[in-house]
Amino acid sequence: MTTFTSRFALACGLALAPVLAGPAAAQDAMETAQALLEKHRAIPEFEPQGEPFDAQACMEGESVFSIPITMAIPFNVELQRAMARAAEEVGFTYTTWENQGSSDAWIQGVNQAISQGYSLVDVAGGLNPAVLAPQLTEASEAGLKVTTTHLYDETQEQADFVDASGKVPYSTVGEILASWAYVETEGAPNVLIIGSDDVLPTEPFVQSIQDTLSEYCPDCTQKYINVPVNEWATRIQSGTQSALLSDPGINYIIPIYDSMSQFVIPALRIAGATDVGIATFNGTPFVLDMVREGTVQMDVGESLGWAGYAAVDAMMRTICDMEVPESLGIPLLIFDESNIETAGNPADFDSGYGDAHVQGFRALWGLE
Amino acid sequence: MSATDTPSRPLASLDIKKEVERYALVLGWIFLIAIFGLLLPDTFLTWRTFSSMLGSQAVLVVLALGILIPLTSGDFDLSAASILVFGSMFLAVSNVQWGWPVGLSVVAVVLIGLIAGLVNAFFVLFFRIHSLIVTLGIGTFLNGMTLWISNSRTVSGVSMELVEIVVIQRLFGVPLAFYYGLLVALVMWYMLEFTISGRKLLFVGRGREVARLNGVPVERVRAIAFGISGGLSGLAGVLYAGMTGSADPTSGLQLLLPAFAAAFLGATAIYPGRFNPIGTLVGVYFLITGITGLTMLGADAYVQSLFYGGALVVAVSLSQLVRQRQPQHFA
Repeated sequence: MTTFTSRFALACGLALAPVLAGPAAAQDAMETAQALLEKHRAIPEFEPQGEPFDAQACMEGESVFSIPITMAIPFNVELQRAMARAAEEVGFTYTTWENQGSSDAWIQGVNQAISQGYSLVDVAGGLNPAVLAPQLTEASEAGLKVTTTHLYDETQEQADFVDASGKVPYSTVGEILASWAYVETEGAPNVLIIGSDDVLPTEPFVQSIQDTLSEYCPDCTQKYINVPVNEWATRIQSGTQSALLSDPGINYIIPIYDSMSQFVIPALRIAGATDVGIATFNGTPFVLDMVREGTVQMDVGESLGWAGYAAVDAMMRTICDMEVPESLGIPLLIFDESNIETAGNPADFDSGYGDAHVQGFRALWGLE
Repeated sequence: MSATDTPSRPLASLDIKKEVERYALVLGWIFLIAIFGLLLPDTFLTWRTFSSMLGSQAVLVVLALGILIPLTSGDFDLSAASILVFGSMFLAVSNVQWGWPVGLSVVAVVLIGLIAGLVNAFFVLFFRIHSLIVTLGIGTFLNGMTLWISNSRTVSGVSMELVEIVVIQRLFGVPLAFYYGLLVALVMWYMLEFTISGRKLLFVGRGREVARLNGVPVERVRAIAFGISGGLSGLAGVLYAGMTGSADPTSGLQLLLPAFAAAFLGATAIYPGRFNPIGTLVGVYFLITGITGLTMLGADAYVQSLFYGGALVVAVSLSQLVRQRQPQHFA
């Protein structure tokens, strides 16, 4: 619903743009952008993504084996903790395959899931099932369901051998970030976008930012630089500096994953461009702390507690042969100077979003 | 002696050849600046661009200078980037979470680096294990320690006092970080060229047995080299934390290969065939000039990698051609 509504609002604005030429069109785009931002400032309410069902009855004797891309990243640790909490509430066996991000460990994990007779094997937190295609196909042939969690954008197709995917609204995040830059620059954005094309959802994510900016302001400038993940420390700073030097008019930077921000900030300091704003996505605690300090202006956050429960909901529906929602339906919340105190001090992964999801999912699963 | 005058002509041509070799990388750097200046006259040839390039590479310069010392004495230090990362994380955790004054954290990090280097030396020298194996192991151990003390998280909020004196304060428009790297390079150059300790280090690298037979305390020299490498890696960690105002548990590890690339590239310049600090400095800024120019021209990420890797192999190969393909003795 979140995605549909925001896109509908955006589409309405765009449809009107050619008609209301000049200042009127700009005014319209500004209102559309502000409306989208306002919507994502409110503490989210729970909206069920599927029909209620008796989770305990259908999960009796079932088990889930989840393989995160690595447990050396706090994001994955928190996501796995939330998924384990949700499984415990329902009362089925949930196993996290602790690993440090190597492909041999992932392969070993799938083999474990098959040999120990799990009902479902899940690849989570950015692990692309394509790199485990032979093993996951074998798991599927052995009767295990195969799912992905928190990988694909809602607009992306899952791999053939995957039964269901808990998708993430990256495209909507793109619209929010573009809207923020548009509003903050008073309708005159000159934006540098930094992404990593080697991360699967980057393409639709960046495309959404670019399209939204172009639609709000067809004549405004935007530039994209691609920095592979394993070169963030060596290339983001130099790339940002070079972009600022070649175009001193850049007034906003959107590093699409917020951990990139730590390399953007020194670039701004060295280039003497400290008035350039930064807006980003992920709600990683140290970046939320940077929002509090004022070095980052805005971070779109997602509750990992909520994401964990939603992922388990999708897994259970897959095991129980029910219709699985297209999206995890994780609400997106804007953190800026006005509400950053709600994120905790120091910030953490789950504060500020409320806890509507806990009661909501319990009721949805027939536990109340 | 009838042949007294005959060597003068070949000697003169040899000198020119040597001089060209010494300054080829510097000339290549000037050539790169000229090319980008022609292609981007309004944006590249500005002081802002140069101050930006100079100010951004201090961490890599200090790390490359650190590994250069054991390289000179014939050892590899693969733990340097891990010491850097552990150091920056220790600084952030001690300053932000334990409330240490930032000055104390800085001193502690340099000392930790020094100790880590001496631990490397102990295992290499006492057990007679190859430095590649020991430093790889100690580096991996330190990576685990970093994840442990940080809880695998990035820690932000490092004292602004440090950020101020690293990247915000400027001299001639260039962040102070540049001058720290320059200072380390100049001190190291002086030590290697004009002090007995520096010459001993070179002798040990050129031939351990010959050095030993000449009374050079080879093991002590190698141990000191590891210690200095560790200490400088710790200092690079301080600069890394000062640059970003934060510390994350993994990204700094990516600096290890560029640091080795800069050291090897530097060995083709100024004193060809020998690791040297000024050559390393030129190597780092040659590479960043290429990367900056290419990025300003809008080149894709892969073009930068092509340049980085290609420049290293081509420069070292050309240098070898000039030296008539003499065997290299890096270790």
